[in-house]
Amino acid sequence: MSTHNKRIIAASLATATCSLLGTSVVAPVQAQEDPGWDFNTALLYYGESDGRVQDVSLNVLARRAFVDDRFLTLGLAVDTLTGATPSGALAYDGPQTFTRPSGLATYTTPANQTPLDDSFLDTRVALTAGWQQPFARLYSFNVGLSASKEYDYLHLGANLGLSRDFNKRNTTLSLGVAFSQDDLEPVGGAPLPLSAMLDVGDLSNRSGDQSKDVTDLVLGLTQVINRDLLVQLNYSFSKSTGYLNDPYKFLSVVDGSTGDPISRTPAPGDSGPLHEYRFESRPDERSKHSVYGQAKYNMSGKVLDLSYRYMSDDWDIDSHTLEARYRWPFGDRRYLEPHVRYYTQSAAEFYRIGLVDGATPPRFASSDYRLGDFDAMTVGLKYGWKTRSDNDMSIRLEYYTQDGSAPSDQIIGNQAGRVLYPDLDAIIAQFSYRF
Amino acid sequence: MQSLRSSAIDSEVRQSVRPGATKRDPRLGLAAGHFRGSFNAMGSPCELLLETADEVLAQELLQIVATEAWRVEDKFSRYRSDNVVARINQSNGRPLTVDDETANLLEFAATLYQLSDGRFDITSGVLRKAWLFDGSDRVPDADSIAQIMGTVGWHRVSWRRPEIQLLPGMQIDFGGIGKEYAVDRAAGLVSRRTNCPCLVNFGGDLVAVGGLRHPDGWQVGVETPGSNASSAQKLILLKHGALATSGDSRRFLLKDGIRYGHILDPMSGWPVECAPRSVTVAADSCTQAGMFATLAMLCGKGAEEFLEDQGVRFWCLR
Repeated sequence: MSTHNKRIIAASLATATCSLLGTSVVAPVQAQEDPGWDFNTALLYYGESDGRVQDVSLNVLARRAFVDDRFLTLGLAVDTLTGATPSGALAYDGPQTFTRPSGLATYTTPANQTPLDDSFLDTRVALTAGWQQPFARLYSFNVGLSASKEYDYLHLGANLGLSRDFNKRNTTLSLGVAFSQDDLEPVGGAPLPLSAMLDVGDLSNRSGDQSKDVTDLVLGLTQVINRDLLVQLNYSFSKSTGYLNDPYKFLSVVDGSTGDPISRTPAPGDSGPLHEYRFESRPDERSKHSVYGQAKYNMSGKVLDLSYRYMSDDWDIDSHTLEARYRWPFGDRRYLEPHVRYYTQSAAEFYRIGLVDGATPPRFASSDYRLGDFDAMTVGLKYGWKTRSDNDMSIRLEYYTQDGSAPSDQIIGNQAGRVLYPDLDAIIAQFSYRF
Repeated sequence: MQSLRSSAIDSEVRQSVRPGATKRDPRLGLAAGHFRGSFNAMGSPCELLLETADEVLAQELLQIVATEAWRVEDKFSRYRSDNVVARINQSNGRPLTVDDETANLLEFAATLYQLSDGRFDITSGVLRKAWLFDGSDRVPDADSIAQIMGTVGWHRVSWRRPEIQLLPGMQIDFGGIGKEYAVDRAAGLVSRRTNCPCLVNFGGDLVAVGGLRHPDGWQVGVETPGSNASSAQKLILLKHGALATSGDSRRFLLKDGIRYGHILDPMSGWPVECAPRSVTVAADSCTQAGMFATLAMLCGKGAEEFLEDQGVRFWCLR
């Protein structure tokens, strides 16, 4: 007798049992394995080329499942950042000397190099806690708290979400809100927007601590199209108010015809910058709208995941993100997952590569490369496997390259031959273990 | 309410109490806010867990459950010489008229024989004369198996309710149904008396009835036989319905490097190849759960596939 002969006997067995026991319909069984804890750990290395930012981070996400689809999630992340990041000043034919953010010393960037702030070093610890549970049959809610601390930064956040299933649970509509309050205590105090970089020891342009508030709203729709296709659409709105500057970023003040930085002499007996720089100034409000669409398509075990995001904000930044992942299993326990991501954004309306000496200063100005016009590409490959004890492990290697340009109408004189936008290449390596 | 931990289903205990053990003494204890009654029946430790503070009720229900277990055992055990099974097995080819309850069980067995394409067969017990799964290397020779196979097969039985007629030398055995049937019967009697949530557990085959106030349900530990301590126990949360386990890795023969498991294929007379070490199934009733588990074992390497096809929740140990 063959054993692979498919035979569904459940209904006949139920009938036979009812006649044996003389009972009518019994209540259906409700049994499940005690789900217990689930840990997701990841060690990530992010390294930018040319001695810029290096980040090593450890992430642990612990999830405790309870019966009836209730979940407790606890997260811990520890980051160690080292290296240097572009300060916003322009590269120039001669060396440039800057006052450190602390206001207590100077540092010098050699000629023809993009000035980097090399005192960049930080450790961040972040904690999250979340609870999710269904209620009233078709609804589910989640609440969460988050906190993170760096030596000059404290973030506190809370979020609340609600979702409802429709259409035999093939459609899920969700609504989420999140609030966060961030306190900044910049080293040496926050510089006043557009104030000049001063000599060592002069902190007269510094103000006290700053803060910002962020409110996020997300509306989501998830739709199961058929057993192989899942589609998700999101709209989100985010509003930030308060201190939105990067207190460590500043702009070069340049000559209106040569484009070279304007020289400056420190006060007698003092050391300080030998050129003029002004700290950046951003609006104290920012509103972002974004729409996001994702489709996951299962092709007999191989899963294609495509997504697109459009974001537009009132700083005039528009961005498009296109992302694709393809999970390709081989054997019972292994898979490869190639990943590509393309990102492009237009510059903020107040993005300036520098400030022109003598011109009426703009109200807002920033030369932060992240607010410029750039394209970025990520390509990566992930290899995942199941261990003997059925735990998941994976390694991921990715290459990121960012390529930007200075607005042509802002390029003055000698600037034409110089690096005006600091391009960026980075390697991302991650090891994950889930047990 | 951490009180609702049922004791683990320990197959070691189950196996150490062999049939014929006569110590039946029912005992009732209060453990962490619920009553736990225990007694022995059908060669197994049995228990009744009750979510009530009413000791008089608990005592009464324990008596009801134990009495029913003993009644089913006395009536259908193949180890007794004075019951209906003995009369059928000693009928020596003569037709015999049986009572309603026995007829219901025979009817059920006949249905299962058909549903399983002959793999579930209450006449296969005689094979145990040749197969003694005692961990030794005494594998019977093919001739003696072939000889016994002449008296195996439900298709050789003439069953026309309420009359049964076996060929001379044939025997029936309700061992594959009896315990689960007793669990469902006992739980039914409890339900008729009270709404109080209870768990009836006869040697690891168990059913939970009555609404439980604790949202997680009863926590049932399933000891996975033969494995080492590390991942040996799975915790199953049972709100309602039944769990039954089939299989025991300690009952086998080992000869010339070949392991002969104790699940016998009634169509060949030989052990089912590649049967799981144990199968635990969740179902609406204990009888259903037990049948799914038994039939899965009989499917050998196709056990998981069979259970998946049935759409039941199961835990299979290889």
